[in-house]
Amino acid sequence: MNFLWKIGGEAGFGIVTTGSLFSKIAAKSGYYIFDFIQYPSLIRGGHNSFEALVSDEEVSNIKETIDFLVCLNKETLDLHKKRLTSSTYVIYDKNEFQVEGDYIKIMVPFSEILKRLNGQSIMKNTIALGASLAILGGELEILNKMLEKQFSDKPKETIQYNQKFAETGFNYIKTNYKDKIKQYLVRKEAQDKLVLTANDAFSLASIYADCKFYSAYPMTPASSVLSILASWQEKTGIVVRHAEDEIAAVNNVIGASFMGVRSSTGTSGGGFALMVESISYAGVSEIPLVIFLSQRPGPATGMPTWTEQGDLLFTVNAGHGEFPKIVLAPGDQEEMTELTIKAYNLADIYQTPIIVMSDMFLSESHKSIELEKIKKILIDNKIQRGKTIDNFSEEKYLRYKLTDDGISPRLIPGKSDIYYQANSYEHLEDGHSTEDNGMRKKQVDKRNKKIITYLNNEFKGPNIYGDLENADVVLVGWGSTKGPMIEAMKQIVSKKKIAVIHFSHVYPLNKEKVITNFKEGKRYILVENNSQGQFGKLLLQETGVEIKEKLLKYDGRMFYTEEIINYLL
Amino acid sequence: MNINDFSAYKPTWCPGCGNWGIGIAIKTALAELKLKPSSFVAVFGIGCSGNGNDFLNANILHSLHGRAVPNAIGVKIANHNLPVFVFAGDGDCYGEGGNHLIHAARGNHDIKVIVHDNMVYGLTTGQAAPTANKGYKSKSTPAGIIEIPINPLALAITSGATFVAQAFAGNPASMIQILKQAIGHKGFSLINILQPCVSFNKINTYQYYLKNSYLLDNNYDPQNQEEALKKAMESTKEKFPLGVIYKIDKPTYTDQLTQLNQGALVNSKLTKNEAIFEEFR
Repeated sequence: MNFLWKIGGEAGFGIVTTGSLFSKIAAKSGYYIFDFIQYPSLIRGGHNSFEALVSDEEVSNIKETIDFLVCLNKETLDLHKKRLTSSTYVIYDKNEFQVEGDYIKIMVPFSEILKRLNGQSIMKNTIALGASLAILGGELEILNKMLEKQFSDKPKETIQYNQKFAETGFNYIKTNYKDKIKQYLVRKEAQDKLVLTANDAFSLASIYADCKFYSAYPMTPASSVLSILASWQEKTGIVVRHAEDEIAAVNNVIGASFMGVRSSTGTSGGGFALMVESISYAGVSEIPLVIFLSQRPGPATGMPTWTEQGDLLFTVNAGHGEFPKIVLAPGDQEEMTELTIKAYNLADIYQTPIIVMSDMFLSESHKSIELEKIKKILIDNKIQRGKTIDNFSEEKYLRYKLTDDGISPRLIPGKSDIYYQANSYEHLEDGHSTEDNGMRKKQVDKRNKKIITYLNNEFKGPNIYGDLENADVVLVGWGSTKGPMIEAMKQIVSKKKIAVIHFSHVYPLNKEKVITNFKEGKRYILVENNSQGQFGKLLLQETGVEIKEKLLKYDGRMFYTEEIINYLL
Repeated sequence: MNINDFSAYKPTWCPGCGNWGIGIAIKTALAELKLKPSSFVAVFGIGCSGNGNDFLNANILHSLHGRAVPNAIGVKIANHNLPVFVFAGDGDCYGEGGNHLIHAARGNHDIKVIVHDNMVYGLTTGQAAPTANKGYKSKSTPAGIIEIPINPLALAITSGATFVAQAFAGNPASMIQILKQAIGHKGFSLINILQPCVSFNKINTYQYYLKNSYLLDNNYDPQNQEEALKKAMESTKEKFPLGVIYKIDKPTYTDQLTQLNQGALVNSKLTKNEAIFEEFR
């Protein structure tokens, strides 16, 4: 069983909050969800919508066909007509507008109920949630409990008042549309789940990875990391600074990291562009740096609230001069949890910039994941600080000592009587500036060696889904296209021999570990959320593997499963 | 400790450069206050003053041009028990990094920002700096600079700095006194040091500053913000008061972070309570 439920209405009327509540209710009822929000870059006056795919099995994609559409205004219907079928339920208020067309029409008198119960228009959402739950065969009690939680700091009357709207919507369906009720959200026993966006996952994992300082400037779609971590300062002890700009943010982090505090910053493309000089600085001064980069469509201000994978090559090449840099691109919320923890470890081990890439599709979409799975990742994680030391008692301490693996012991300043400098200039082993040609070459070689060490030790080749050996068609992608690719594969595997190759360790690439997955005689298709096939270019440059066939989408929206299937069939 | 304990490589500044005097004054102040090279952190900007990184023994972070202040903020938050200094030039701190200066002052971040103000870009051979007087002719402003000079003292005072001082590289005794007072102060401190550039600035020379600067007298009250602003504005008439212009005690940024009540962030343990999972259910 799976179905797509969608709600839309005027911006500024709580659509996103209502949607998130729906996702949590579905997860609490025992189902898996993946959701997606759509909103313009303004606070009031536009159209907001939220959709969730609910399933018996784990999901991390969105399908195009809408099964239940809740229209809080006429625009919702008008905007989604081409995604509806004759079996779509359209929930609306006939006192506000008429619905033409061949759908299953469910009329709920939102405005009349509002008037009768003396409610504000934002409570339409609560009526709609109650009605949705009823038509899906769900339990009102779960919604009531969620409302209790949502208004836990409010008086009991406020909670009961809100519950009244939910109940009225619920009962209206039970009374008037009994024959139309589906048994989709019937509560069942299942493991406890968390409902996480990739930004939530990055935030949670940062705490469990011992990140004690986060400095950032708000930029959609990375901003929620700043607000989540800021709200946890008292609970966890993390320090969060809302910096004056992204250049300050990244340099705050470099300062704190130099002093031995695990730290990070987060931004989107424009802010990341401002950080680029400092990335190079962290590279040469060998200071651990973790940057969370959530992409949105550029160039420049672009489309702030939509999605794209357009910054890969920019990220890979960010920073003047030559220095090691590791770029990770988790494919879903679970991988985000794992790879965020790994990113902090890599930063300490390799003493260099690590960039964790997301995009609006992952950063603002919730995915349900079993609590035990998340706990296992978070609690079993081992903090690896590499060659970070508090003291040094051997011969003279040399911060940039030449070593076989390119990594030198990094002393935390202020913990012993030893002092040294970390330097943005080229330097001698002791950190002092130099322009000597011999030492220059040795220090460049030393830093480059870290890339080899990483490729041999921590680099992980792509994950393979499906039977690659016997596949005729192979989808190749990175980052957030993982869910849509895998779901498309599942749906057509009976018709086609198909497999998926997904990269999360996108740069640098270990040629040997990559090329074994590419064989003659198969049809490889690059699936990317950008217009130039950037990962394809990177793959060719780093490994010599060229993928000629490309399925690219760059209209600001993620891939719907059907789009990939229709392309293949 | 004596000043030689702080001496690293022999400086490469031009003979007669104001940086020599500033360098000695800094080391003297550190030694007299019994600091050790390992007991504080210095963040250097980029420029002739920034080159001081190799001439001072200390925990040093040699930053990018303009970014020493945000680095220093991070350093202080990470380990607020250590004194943190920024050494940068006028172009670095008032030009490239001007935004950071304002916001560091607003937050009363407890860092001592020591600006070597010679009104030119020395290391790039003499272009006009943001503190250059209007009309100053340089390689980048051959017809004379159109902009008026920035007023670092007034800018700092109105932005929330809690210690604002001006010194002159040609007056080491008062410079040492001012630096010692700055080190003793808790909160954002700007020390603007007037410093002749003997190679590129033939107008604002030692003689120029000897003629146009004066020591604040003992009756001057640095706690009066209005008086401090009046003093700060004198530079528009090419008069340069030397001494502590403004000083007031206020809680610093790290004083107001309850997370740091138990000690330095670098030694703290985060609370990893599964209660935070609750908001995702």
